[in-house]
Amino acid sequence: MTFTHRIRTIYVKELIDILRDRRTLIAMIVVPIVLYPLLMLGSVQAVSYQHEAMEQEALVIGVAGDRHRIMLSQLIQFDAAALASEEALLDPESSPNSSPHDSRVVRLTEAKELPAPLGDAKVQVFDSPEDLQRAIRERVVPVGLVFDGDTLVDSIERQVKVRVHADYEEPRGTTAGRRVEELLLRTNERLQDSRLHERGLPKSFLEPYTVETVDLSAPSSVLGQILPLILILMTITGAIYPAIDLTAGERERGTLESLMVCPVPVIDLIVGKFLVVTTVAIMGAALNLGSVTATVYFGGFDQVIASTGGQVPMAKMLFILVALIPFAVLMSAIMIAVCSYARTFKEAQNYVTPVILAVLIPGGIAALPATRLEGIMLVMPVGNMVLLAKELLLGAAVGPWEVVMVLLSTTLYAGAAVAVAANVFGQESVVFSDAGSLRGAFSRKMMKPSTRPTVSLSLLVTALLFPTWFFVQSALSPGLEEAAVGQLYGTAWLMPLLFVVLPVAILIYWKVEIVKTFSLRMPRGWHFAAAILIGLSAWIPAHEVNVLQRSLLGTPQTVVQSAERLVEAIKFLRPEMAILLLALSPAVCEELLFRGFLLGGLRSATGKWPAIVASAAVFGVFHFFVFRFAVTAGLGVILAYLCWQSRSILPAMVTHALHNTLGVLSVIKPEWQRWIGLPDDPDSTTEWAHLPLWLVMAGCAVLMLGLYLSSRPADPDRRPRPSADA
Amino acid sequence: MVIANNLVKTFPNPDGGEKRAVDGLSFRVAEGQIYGLLGPNGAGKTTTLRMLSGLMAPTSGTASLAGYDVATQPQEVKRVLGFLTANTGLYQRLSARELLVYFSRLHGMERDAANARAEQLIAWLGIDDFSHLRCGALSTGQKQRVNIARALVADPPILVMDEPTLGLDVLSNRVILDFIKRERHAGKTIILSTHYLDEAETMCDKIGLLHDGRLVAEGDLESLRGVSGEHRLSTIFLKLIQANQPVGAAGA
Repeated sequence: MTFTHRIRTIYVKELIDILRDRRTLIAMIVVPIVLYPLLMLGSVQAVSYQHEAMEQEALVIGVAGDRHRIMLSQLIQFDAAALASEEALLDPESSPNSSPHDSRVVRLTEAKELPAPLGDAKVQVFDSPEDLQRAIRERVVPVGLVFDGDTLVDSIERQVKVRVHADYEEPRGTTAGRRVEELLLRTNERLQDSRLHERGLPKSFLEPYTVETVDLSAPSSVLGQILPLILILMTITGAIYPAIDLTAGERERGTLESLMVCPVPVIDLIVGKFLVVTTVAIMGAALNLGSVTATVYFGGFDQVIASTGGQVPMAKMLFILVALIPFAVLMSAIMIAVCSYARTFKEAQNYVTPVILAVLIPGGIAALPATRLEGIMLVMPVGNMVLLAKELLLGAAVGPWEVVMVLLSTTLYAGAAVAVAANVFGQESVVFSDAGSLRGAFSRKMMKPSTRPTVSLSLLVTALLFPTWFFVQSALSPGLEEAAVGQLYGTAWLMPLLFVVLPVAILIYWKVEIVKTFSLRMPRGWHFAAAILIGLSAWIPAHEVNVLQRSLLGTPQTVVQSAERLVEAIKFLRPEMAILLLALSPAVCEELLFRGFLLGGLRSATGKWPAIVASAAVFGVFHFFVFRFAVTAGLGVILAYLCWQSRSILPAMVTHALHNTLGVLSVIKPEWQRWIGLPDDPDSTTEWAHLPLWLVMAGCAVLMLGLYLSSRPADPDRRPRPSADA
Repeated sequence: MVIANNLVKTFPNPDGGEKRAVDGLSFRVAEGQIYGLLGPNGAGKTTTLRMLSGLMAPTSGTASLAGYDVATQPQEVKRVLGFLTANTGLYQRLSARELLVYFSRLHGMERDAANARAEQLIAWLGIDDFSHLRCGALSTGQKQRVNIARALVADPPILVMDEPTLGLDVLSNRVILDFIKRERHAGKTIILSTHYLDEAETMCDKIGLLHDGRLVAEGDLESLRGVSGEHRLSTIFLKLIQANQPVGAAGA
């Protein structure tokens, strides 16, 4: 039976198993379908009821002194009378000749609704403005008015200052304050209008400009802020139960033993289980999303939930569901990995809680209104998925590169989590509760020496390194004006530390053979020759791919800027320093990490090509600029192939060093560009011109020759055994 | 053929020390033989059987089943092995038939072959009456029959059974013991660990007495009687355990 057959068998069985469980069905179907509408109806109605109640509530307005009470009562009476007449005006039948120039009528027509008069407002009198303020702070009255003077406006020369006091932090105070302010503003406007009318002046006399703000936020802003968070919570909830049931539950019920004695690799079991958890999580998310949509749509909550009173964008819901899939994949992988450590249901639940909290932190940051999908957020686990969903829902333009970056980094994290799960799931200290403590799984004393790291160890370390490295690079990256010299030095220090020292320390702790893992051995002479040929020629197709990509897709401004700063930095450094920092150091460090640590771990679990392609994809992702992904990943494939064939890391280092050195030299010696037929233009745009055809042909031929040479087995007297030492 | 050679298994203790659950165990079992692994609780029987079935890695020493090394060829070992314990659980939400088909598929059978094998085992072990019921609804005896069927789906040449009759009524006990005998006649290699000494007396061709992770005696019933000077296995057992003289595999 093939891998896919086994996975399918496991998948179908586990799915049937989990769907027959009443608890799953309740968590997955009943909760979203019944609870959601109930909760939503309940809370939304409560809020809107409260809101309406406050709007309609008879106001109590405090004033200081009896004189002010009379003034306020007059104001309210005037306003009520004016509102009544305006209402009559608004009625089209009763006002056939109302002039469209009457701004108040126009404004009110637009508003469609007349404000509630304050006729039934009660006025409470206090002795002094200080008493009034204290009463408002103590919430005896929601709002208070203090007039500056003892009469209302009686002539053009006089202005009366009115202070509205309220606790604007409190909903009742806000509503009351606003209603009183509106009363004053309306009165003001009426007075203005009548004065202008008396003098026969147009409205524009006072207001040369009328200012109108147009809100272009998507109609679903509120939904856009909240929904992604709700959905990730629901997706997590959907994943938890099956993840526990299929791992810790299996152990608790004693079925794990019989599963483990089947001739099926643990990775197949875990992948099958992981796919079931993902399926259930996505089904749960879809049901939740459907339920929310239906509740909003049929419940008539569009107006309440959508901030500008628009419609809920139904088409976008589908988008969000698609964006949720990678998130469900990642969460399921994390849940499976975490629950694999647990031996009982209860233990698993204990592990899951902190994980949910840990997930909610990046999720919460991402849900903040000001957070955008850029910088470190692009690769922030969980956070980037939430942001992607949010941006889509808010209708922001999300570039394809960002989407690719989010998906690739999520894939890396999910892959690492699944690998960890597979490693843990089969461990005897986890399978048998009587086989020593869990600590045994991490204690060095219990570890057996091995020749290569496990795939889970190397993937996990690489996955953790990824956001770290991204963060280091963003922290080091200079401002727009500076050259990138500091960044180069910083990278030169940190790269050996993170890419070499850290993996080596981990390998030593795990008792893994360093020499084998990093393939530190002398290769055959022809592999060195191949390395030199590839190192000298690979830039030619790489350049052509770049040019092609640029002509098809354009170049993002950030890529251009960072390239320019790099050029500045190289010119600033001494040539040998530039070559050391940009060619030799990466050639050694990156090779040790990607072709040593990572490929070494991958080769213990998968075949030749999956290992090569996966390591190359990770290598590409590590270069952050998605724009460069195709070229770096392509080079990654070649370097990994070279390493695999020669069973040594040295040829890959040679190729890498040569390739980067040529790049550095092309900056230091611009005249070289003329020799190979590129326009000798001091502008940096020259690097985007096509190479002459003869050079492309020659370069490809040399590359082919190099690849052909490297395809020869490392040991001619022994058949190559790609995964023999797994 | 099953060969254990100087098997050692240590577990970490919570206090940071180590416990040697199995301590230099060697024995071999030929085809058509039932080997009884006897010993008090904590003697290391279960750990030994788990190492033989590839569920645990030996700390040192080697074991091979049908020529496959447990440490380096785990998948091949699992292919020739049927493993059964008293507390092996069944998938509660699958029917007995679904469960047997699933495990047949996991052993690499095509769908038709898996269905046919499941039907065969259902008829053979008298599961017919309850093959459509979910395993969660079965009685202990019924469950154990399904479990045996599960261990046999791939018709493995080697059977490792850890107290297969624990907690069963007389009737189910008989079904299972008859079945084990039949498998022996079919030429299978069987390793059986049990607490029921009269069961071991009637069933086993060869008996290994395990104490503190070591073999204190090994041989057929007659030779054990000779060593101990006792007749009944239970008294032989007590005497040898109390004497606690590690004889080692070589002495057998």
